[in-house]
Amino acid sequence: MTKKNKKIAVVGAGHNALVCATYLAKAGFSVDVFESRSQVGGMIGKRKLGEEYSVPGAAHLLSHVDESVFKKLNLKKHGLEYSAQDLKTVSLNRDGNALIIDGDEVDGDDITMKEKKEFKELNKRMVKLAGFLESTYGKKPPRLGSDDRGDMFSLASLGLNARMMGADSMSDLLKFIAVNIYDVLNEFTDHNHLKGTLAFDAILGNHMGPRTNNSVITYLHQLTGGANGKNGSHSMVSDGTGSFTKSLEEAAKKAGVNIHLNASVKSISFTDDLEITGLTLKNGDAFDADIIVSGIDPRSTFNCLVGPKKLEAGVVHKVNNVRMRGNAAKLHLALSSKPKFKGISEDQLGQRIVYSPSMEYLERTFDFNKYGQISDDLPMEITIPSIHDKTLAPKGHHVLSAIVNYVPYHLKEGWENSKSRVLDQCINQLDGLAPGLKGLVVQSELLTPADIEEEYGITGGQWHHGELTFDQFLMLRPVPKMAQYSSPISSLYMCGAGSHPGGGIMGTAGKNAAMEIMKRES
Amino acid sequence: MLQQNHYLKSVYETPFHERTSELNILNDWTRWKDYTVPNSYFRVDLEYFAARNSTAVFDYTPMIKHRIKGKDALEYVNRFFTRDMTKIGLHRVGYAVWCDEQGQVIDDGTVFHMRENEYWLLSAERQLENLAVSAIGFDVEIDELTDDVAALGVQGPTSASILKAMGFQEIEMLKPFDIKHYSYHGEEITISRTGFTGDLGYEVLMSNSVALSFYNEMFAKGEIYNIKPAGLEALDLLRIEAGLLQPGVDFMIAEEAIRPGATRSPYELGLSWLVDLSKPVFNGKAALVEEKKRGSKYTFVKLNINGNKPASGSYLYNQANKKIGTVTSAMFSPSAKANIAYASLHEPWKKGKDKIIAEIYYQKDLEWNRVMEEATIVTKPFFDPDRKRATPAELY
Repeated sequence: MTKKNKKIAVVGAGHNALVCATYLAKAGFSVDVFESRSQVGGMIGKRKLGEEYSVPGAAHLLSHVDESVFKKLNLKKHGLEYSAQDLKTVSLNRDGNALIIDGDEVDGDDITMKEKKEFKELNKRMVKLAGFLESTYGKKPPRLGSDDRGDMFSLASLGLNARMMGADSMSDLLKFIAVNIYDVLNEFTDHNHLKGTLAFDAILGNHMGPRTNNSVITYLHQLTGGANGKNGSHSMVSDGTGSFTKSLEEAAKKAGVNIHLNASVKSISFTDDLEITGLTLKNGDAFDADIIVSGIDPRSTFNCLVGPKKLEAGVVHKVNNVRMRGNAAKLHLALSSKPKFKGISEDQLGQRIVYSPSMEYLERTFDFNKYGQISDDLPMEITIPSIHDKTLAPKGHHVLSAIVNYVPYHLKEGWENSKSRVLDQCINQLDGLAPGLKGLVVQSELLTPADIEEEYGITGGQWHHGELTFDQFLMLRPVPKMAQYSSPISSLYMCGAGSHPGGGIMGTAGKNAAMEIMKRES
Repeated sequence: MLQQNHYLKSVYETPFHERTSELNILNDWTRWKDYTVPNSYFRVDLEYFAARNSTAVFDYTPMIKHRIKGKDALEYVNRFFTRDMTKIGLHRVGYAVWCDEQGQVIDDGTVFHMRENEYWLLSAERQLENLAVSAIGFDVEIDELTDDVAALGVQGPTSASILKAMGFQEIEMLKPFDIKHYSYHGEEITISRTGFTGDLGYEVLMSNSVALSFYNEMFAKGEIYNIKPAGLEALDLLRIEAGLLQPGVDFMIAEEAIRPGATRSPYELGLSWLVDLSKPVFNGKAALVEEKKRGSKYTFVKLNINGNKPASGSYLYNQANKKIGTVTSAMFSPSAKANIAYASLHEPWKKGKDKIIAEIYYQKDLEWNRVMEEATIVTKPFFDPDRKRATPAELY
């Protein structure tokens, strides 16, 4: 069978799935994408808030995109527009002393020259390590215990890349890679607010506090990529991320991908010899396919689409042990005018605003999370996309989009009766940071991790499709022996963030999966 | 259920202990899992011959007993074991092995299809962890009954007569691997025509509360049938003659092996008849499909060795004096009148071409001697009496 005759069905139309589908269609495969929602883009898709407002659905900033993917897919041509780029990070505290971080420069909140220098040094060293991490991202990770020459080569080049960074960086790598961000940051500076702000990047969306092991690797992951080649720099996409998803959709269609919306996949069918035969939709329709690519998380893929009864117990066990504890919620507010945050000038409102005053604060807040409780003072990443994009709200009005961290998926008292309380609490907390904000709220909603699971079909509402920790990284992501985008079922592949290199709007997992599929199936 | 004050003892006594300790005139005890059971009672050879010529009774209580029940029980066991479990009908027992993800044998055991949607697994090792891990996605309930259920092996030519004399109707009509539930003093008692001796025999599962009265009644009724208690040492001889493997002796339990290559697949244990690659997924299938394609590294054989010196632990060589394997179990079989052994063979041994020569060490008056004895491969069981299969069972 030539690849032209091979039919590929892609499950889900998140960004990685669309990237993978487009690469495969460009390579000559016949590709159909099945998406349960009524729009593509998954967690990046735009979302309605009331009748008149729009907000970015889940992800609201682009920070580590894979430029090679964007170029290959020609997303700019297909309509991708940035409404703002190179955003600064403005970090708030309760006293109204904002700290502003721009690349390797930091200013505000009584920061001294010495501390500025300390940050520059820290940034330099971390960016170098992030570069090493990133050097592993663009290709499939090696398979452990394999005698394949390609695997041996990529394992060797991993070691070589580490060595080529130079002795100092290599010793940094060995010293920092598996430890916690708390100890590392304490080694560099005494400025608590600065440390709190940086540690926030390490824990955002992960079930960890600054003192949790592995929180350096998540920090480095945040520093990889970066729009415009600037590490960790954030951009906002126009139309509330809509132009990004639209461009992905256009690129896919242009390449010949058929996208089926409102087409929820119920199960994947295969023979007793583990050969893919197709998939069945929830509405009963069946679709024949030779290859299936799953863009949804590994646990949903195997637990829901394949079914644990059809897999060996060892596989089921490993997949179910992928840690997927979601703990980030999404807050959306429609405001009747611009809010005024203490310590932030009006022209800084459009930047990325972070509330994470210190590492001790983060750790204590995480304590609640650990035990299924919720603190009344939560760390947040706040954006007001309507500052840069007037189409999102009626004239003079604004929308606020915030990722609220340390909101547990498993809330002890259950989510049914707690959601409105937590929403009110978030608004009150913001009102403390921006006095009067509460009175401006026209519409509001909170997507808890449980809602995110429901809405986007991600187990545990875990944004990264599996926590980003050292034991779920590289050749161990999502689980050993499945790290090459493949699965125990031949011609069932995975292309989502649950595979290497993991979460974030990169598109790299989709690209790598496509490369692997082309290699194996051509 | 834990016995009261269990922590004061390093081993438990089985419900039969009161009687077995009287019968154990050698006071020779051994530990079997959490229990102490007789290693021998009075004379190992006579205990052995009781099983071959009359009836020997073994206290199997420490055997680990798991119960799997629920709507998906059949589907579950079919995914857990390598053989086709749909063929084990209601009230039937099947011998089975199960594998890890690498297709290596974790343990073997007997699976009792006790009731509709209910299977019991009797095995040497605790398997709750493996069974529980395997239960994800299945509507089954799994528990362990080892301490709640007493078990006896009643083995030998007169065993059916003894059970019949005790009032178990139509016991002789049970075919090999049949199960029958009886009521005994108001408690359910389960008798299966199974055993670990390769002879006519039964296994009895009962609640602890009736265990002692059952034992006493059986010995009273069994006296004229020459019933004898027998220990684990005799049992080991019987099982070797019967062609039955002992986990931890004839193969490494996959989970306990430390060195790679120390474990064995079912194919490498001569158990390919227990693997059905044509059934849907089961634990270890992918690896076994691969092994079938690539070939196995080891061959398990039964050997008949010249001479009369047991080849315990012997190295095996071919005619070029290259090492080709190791003996895992060996004995001089009184029933087969042969020097028998099990062995695991490997390269450069070539089936049908190479000789197998055992290097046997033995002592005479504290002097060690060494002989090199040629061995031949035996494909049939060493000891296989017709009474093992005859239904109705012989009654005396």
